[in-house]
Amino acid sequence: MPTVKSKKKKLKKEVSVGEEQGEVALDMEMEEMTNKSQSDSREPLTPEPLDPAPQKKKKKKRAATIDQEVDHADTPNGNTTEPTIDGEETSVAVTRKTKKKKKAKATEHYSNDLGAEEDDIVAGSQSPIPQHSLFSAPHGQSQPVGKVFVERNRRFQAERVDHLRHSEMMDDYMDPRPLWTTRDVAMKVHSSFRVIGLFSHGFLAGYAVWNIIVVYVLAGEQMTTLPNLLNQYHPLAYPAQSLLYLLLAISTVSAFDRVNLAKASMALRGFLTLDPAALASFLYFIALILSLSQQMTSDRINLYPTANETLWPPGSEQQILRPWIVVNLVVALLVGMAWAVVSTRPDIDYTEEFLMTMEVESYPRGEENVDNPA
Amino acid sequence: MLQSGNYSLVLLIQLILLAYDLFVNSFSELLRAAPVIQLVLFIIQDIAILFNLIIILLMMFNTYVFQVGLLSLLLERFRALLIFSTLYLTLSICLHSWVMNLRWLDSGRFVWTDGLQTLFVFQRTVAVGYYYLYKRTAEYMGDPRLYEDSLWLREAFARARQ
Repeated sequence: MPTVKSKKKKLKKEVSVGEEQGEVALDMEMEEMTNKSQSDSREPLTPEPLDPAPQKKKKKKRAATIDQEVDHADTPNGNTTEPTIDGEETSVAVTRKTKKKKKAKATEHYSNDLGAEEDDIVAGSQSPIPQHSLFSAPHGQSQPVGKVFVERNRRFQAERVDHLRHSEMMDDYMDPRPLWTTRDVAMKVHSSFRVIGLFSHGFLAGYAVWNIIVVYVLAGEQMTTLPNLLNQYHPLAYPAQSLLYLLLAISTVSAFDRVNLAKASMALRGFLTLDPAALASFLYFIALILSLSQQMTSDRINLYPTANETLWPPGSEQQILRPWIVVNLVVALLVGMAWAVVSTRPDIDYTEEFLMTMEVESYPRGEENVDNPA
Repeated sequence: MLQSGNYSLVLLIQLILLAYDLFVNSFSELLRAAPVIQLVLFIIQDIAILFNLIIILLMMFNTYVFQVGLLSLLLERFRALLIFSTLYLTLSICLHSWVMNLRWLDSGRFVWTDGLQTLFVFQRTVAVGYYYLYKRTAEYMGDPRLYEDSLWLREAFARARQ
């Protein structure tokens, strides 16, 4: 492309030199010269006949290039990589200046021809921008980078195109159902609670046995030192009762879970066949009620230091504390037995089996299929 | 279709509310130094029970089974929970009102009577049933069959029509 342009420019140089020599150019000569240059330049570049629309375009292009050329003289970082072209351009600029004078005259009569001449100047150059960039920007064509910037979490992150495509393809071909379904979440929660329950069974059994041993030790032989028990045990009575309720509640729920109590037929069958889970839940439930029934006595023991005669009449310790100790003993035995029963078959869990059945059977969706109103 | 992420979040909220309920049931008697503390704990507990009931009802309304009108199927499955929740809420409010009324002026007073003891045992026992049923129902609400058309649902529908 630069070679074609330089040829054109040479032609124009000749034209302008001839005109300069003649001092005052005749209009006829001008016309001939311009026509000649027009025909010369047009032949190799634009073989098809000139129509007004491309002329306009080229005019615009020309205006742009002239502006750039004018600016080019001012820009400090002009294109230094192509000094030869620059030199030529400056010479063209000089000739153009002289031409402009002529043009001023010529436009009076030959405005149409001028348009043709303008066409000559820039015709053929696809885009002058790469050669005359205002700033020394890279000249190479833009190359596709193998990255895509995806906005995630309010930030753009670069991601490999092939990776993105791959993941999209994976999304397309994969089953639309998520890997982690609601059933799995329910199963996970259930199995987590079963672990907590298993811990609770053991802890409750150990705690109840420890509690009753402490009570019996403090009560002394044949319960002769009950005031000692009250003095020592009163700060522990209410917290012990609260902890017992907490552990009993968790253990009972866990045992009910194992037997799937809400399914009445299944639970009844479990009770009749003395299923370990059913037996354990029964024992825990009895223990829970017995333990709760001692709440009043526990509060009475708790209030022992501040008590008056109505709360702890003298000599009433034996009468009040004996049932309390017996019930605590029974509770300890019950939870110990329940723990032993659960421990024999720790894998029994009918609720989990029921959860496992929560699968959607594939149904052939026919025409009579009910549409979801939502 | 219920998303597992949404379901996990709802389940977490439900379990937190249940855990709070169990905590208050266990240790509210120990936290009676100032009656105001106990009052606030009880109010939050009652609101938590109500919230849990509302959440489980909303989850039921969100099911495909409910939307196609098979309400009986849901009721058959979750009737026990609805009864226990209502009963437990009523018993809790009664017990809390009674206890607060007795202890408002002197929190360290011995307030137990046979009636209060009976109500206490009843409320705490129902609470355990409520925990069990609520936990079970919350897990069962993750049943994918409740949220789309399936062979199981059609069979249930046919059974209901007979």
